[in-house]
Amino acid sequence: MYRYDEFDERFVRERVEQFRTQVSRRLDGSLSEDEFKPLRLKNGLYLQLHAYMLRIAVPYGTMSARQLRQLARIAREYDKGYAHFTTRQNLQFNWPKLKDIPAILDLLADVEMHAIQTSGNCIRNTTADQFSGVAADESEDPRPTAELLRQWSSQHPEFVWLPRKFKIAVTGAQHDRAAILVHDIGLKLKRNDAGEPGYELSVGGGLGRTPMIGKIIRDFLPKDELLAYVEAIMRVYNAEGRRDNKFKARVKILVHETGTEEFKARVEAEYAKLDGPTINAPQEEIDRIAAYFAAPDYEDLPATSLTLEQARKSDKGLDRFVAQNGFAHKQPGYIALTISLKPVGGVPGDMSADQMDAFADIADAYSLGELRVTHSQNLVLPYVKQDDVPALYADLKRHGLATANAGLVTDIIACPGLDYCSLATAKSIPIAQEIARTFADEDRQQAIGELPIKISGCINACGHHHVGAIGILGLEKGGRENYQITVGGDATEHAAVGERLGPGIDADDVPGAVEVLVETYLSEKQGAETFIETVRRTGVEPFKASFTGFIEARASAQEAAE
Amino acid sequence: MAKDHRAGSKVKGDKLPAIVMASDLLEGDTVFLTGKGWTRDSKHARIAHDQETADRMEAEGKASAAANAVIDPYLVPVEISDGGHPVARHFRDVMRQKGPSIHPDMGKQAEFGPLT
Repeated sequence: MYRYDEFDERFVRERVEQFRTQVSRRLDGSLSEDEFKPLRLKNGLYLQLHAYMLRIAVPYGTMSARQLRQLARIAREYDKGYAHFTTRQNLQFNWPKLKDIPAILDLLADVEMHAIQTSGNCIRNTTADQFSGVAADESEDPRPTAELLRQWSSQHPEFVWLPRKFKIAVTGAQHDRAAILVHDIGLKLKRNDAGEPGYELSVGGGLGRTPMIGKIIRDFLPKDELLAYVEAIMRVYNAEGRRDNKFKARVKILVHETGTEEFKARVEAEYAKLDGPTINAPQEEIDRIAAYFAAPDYEDLPATSLTLEQARKSDKGLDRFVAQNGFAHKQPGYIALTISLKPVGGVPGDMSADQMDAFADIADAYSLGELRVTHSQNLVLPYVKQDDVPALYADLKRHGLATANAGLVTDIIACPGLDYCSLATAKSIPIAQEIARTFADEDRQQAIGELPIKISGCINACGHHHVGAIGILGLEKGGRENYQITVGGDATEHAAVGERLGPGIDADDVPGAVEVLVETYLSEKQGAETFIETVRRTGVEPFKASFTGFIEARASAQEAAE
Repeated sequence: MAKDHRAGSKVKGDKLPAIVMASDLLEGDTVFLTGKGWTRDSKHARIAHDQETADRMEAEGKASAAANAVIDPYLVPVEISDGGHPVARHFRDVMRQKGPSIHPDMGKQAEFGPLT
C-alpha cells in the first residue's frame, strides 16, 4: 500500500487545521451557510435529511486494517456505530455533528485518510478494479496509475473549480470491473504491438440524468505521457465545459455536443502546446510510487489446496462461499475473496463498528492487513492463502460476513435514497431489502446466476441504475414514490445503458416485477447464458412483453379489489 | 449529485395547516419552530392554521437562519393527527420528521416515539 511521505502528511494536517478554523468561524457566526457550504463541500461534508454526512476518500478502494479500525472507532465515538461503503469505493458516516468534524478529521489524518475532494466540482477519488494487483486476468496493476493521478489531482491549482465534478477510473484487466466506460475519463492499461506499456483512454462516460458511454479518443497513449495528456483533456473541459447550466456541465455533455472527433482534435491541439516533460512525472517518482505496490512476499504453494478441497466436500456452506465469492488469484495457492455487505434484509454497503473491528483482525490474520472496497459496495480480501479459507470462513460467519452472494440477484447496489439523502425523490434501500427477501433462497439465487440489480433513489444515479442488468429508478409521481424499471444495462467492457420497459410502478410491485423479468430470462435463456447475455441476444422485447403483462395483471387485480 | 441540498416541501395545492422545519446548525438534525425558538420534538411544533401566521412563522425561520441558528427553514404542510399532533403530508417531510424508515431505532422516532 502507498504510505504518505512528509509532503502528503503536512498537506493533510494543514487542511484539517484550515477546516477547523472554518468550522469555528461558522459556529461563531462569522460565516453564513452560503459562505460555508462551498468550503464544507471541499471537505466532503454534506447536509442530508437528518444530519450532516461526511464522505471519506478511500483511494482506489484500498485500505489497511489499521485504517478500518480507526473508522470503527470514529463510527462508535462520533456516529451511531456504523458506516456505509459507497459506489465510488468511499465510506460515509451518516450522523456526525458539525462541531465534531475537526476531531474526526484529526483521527483520519492519524491513519493517512481524509475527506478532501470527495465532493464539489473537482477531480474526485480515482477508482480502480478491486482485484488490482492480484487478479489472474490482469495484464498490469492499475494502482500505481491511480496513485499517480491521486497525487497529481490533489489540490491541482488549475482544476479545483471545474464546471462540475470529474471522475476517473482505471483497470488493468481484460474484464472491466471498474466501470471505466461510465466515468469522465476511463483508462485501460494495455500494451501496443511493440510491447510498450500505455493506455486506451476514453472520455465522456457518465450516468446521472444524461447517461453516456465513454468515447475512446486514444487507442494507445504511451504510459509516460499520461499526466500531460490528462491535463490537456482537463484544460479543454475547464475552458469549454458549460458553467451556465449544471445539468449540462459534465464533460460527457461537452464531448457529446462538440462531437468525439472535434473534441479529440481540441485535446490533441492542447496537448501539442503543453510542455509534456514538465508535467509528466519523472521516472524516479513513478518508480517510487510503483515500489509501494510491489507484490508481497508470497509463499511458494501448490496451485490448489488439499485442505480447502477437502473442507469444501464436507461443508456445503463453505463450498458455496468459495464458489460464489472466490476470485482467481495470479499467485498459485492464493485466492481473493469478496466479502459481501449484502446479507438478505440488510442495508447494502453498511457495516457495523463491531464488524469493522472484527474484519480488521481478519484482514490482519489472513490478508496481510489489507482490504479493498468494491464499487458494488462490498469488500475484498486480496491476499488469502487457500489453505486458510476454512478458518477464515468460520471467522466471517461468526461476524455475519459470510453471505455467499457476490454477483447474484441479492447482491444489489443501492444508493442511500430517501432514507438519508436530501436529493432523493424515493426510497432505495427498502426496495433492495424487499427484492433480497423475495430471492432469499440460496439455491434459487444460484439457479438464476449472475444478475446485477442497481437501484437509485433519484435521477442523479448514484446507485448506477442505468448500468444494472435490471435497473430501478425511484421518482416521485403524483405525490407517491414511483419506480421505473430498465433492462439491459451493463457496466463492464460491454457497457450499455438499460432500456425502460414501460410506465413506472409502485414500490410494492417492484419485487413482483423483478420476479417476472427473472422468469422471462429463465425461459429465454440458451445454454449457460447469464441474464445480461440473454438480453443482449434477444433484445428487451420479451422483457417488455412480460413486464406489460405484469402491469396489466396488477391493474385488473386492483380493479377487482376496488 | 446535482446539487447539495433540495429544500422546500413538495406538497401541491392547499398548504395549510403548516409547521416550519429546518436543520439545526450544530447537529444537522431536524428542528421545528415553536412559539419561542426551536424544538426537536415535532409534537411541540407551532402550527399555522392561517396564511398570515404561516407567513410570520416563515419569516421567523428565515431570521433564525440569518442569525446562524438553523439552516434551510421552510413551511411544511401538515395534517393534524387524532392525538392533535402535526404530521407532514409529503413523504419526504415525514422522513425528516420521523427518521430513516430502515432504522426505527434512530432519529426522532427513536427519541420521541411515534406520532399518534
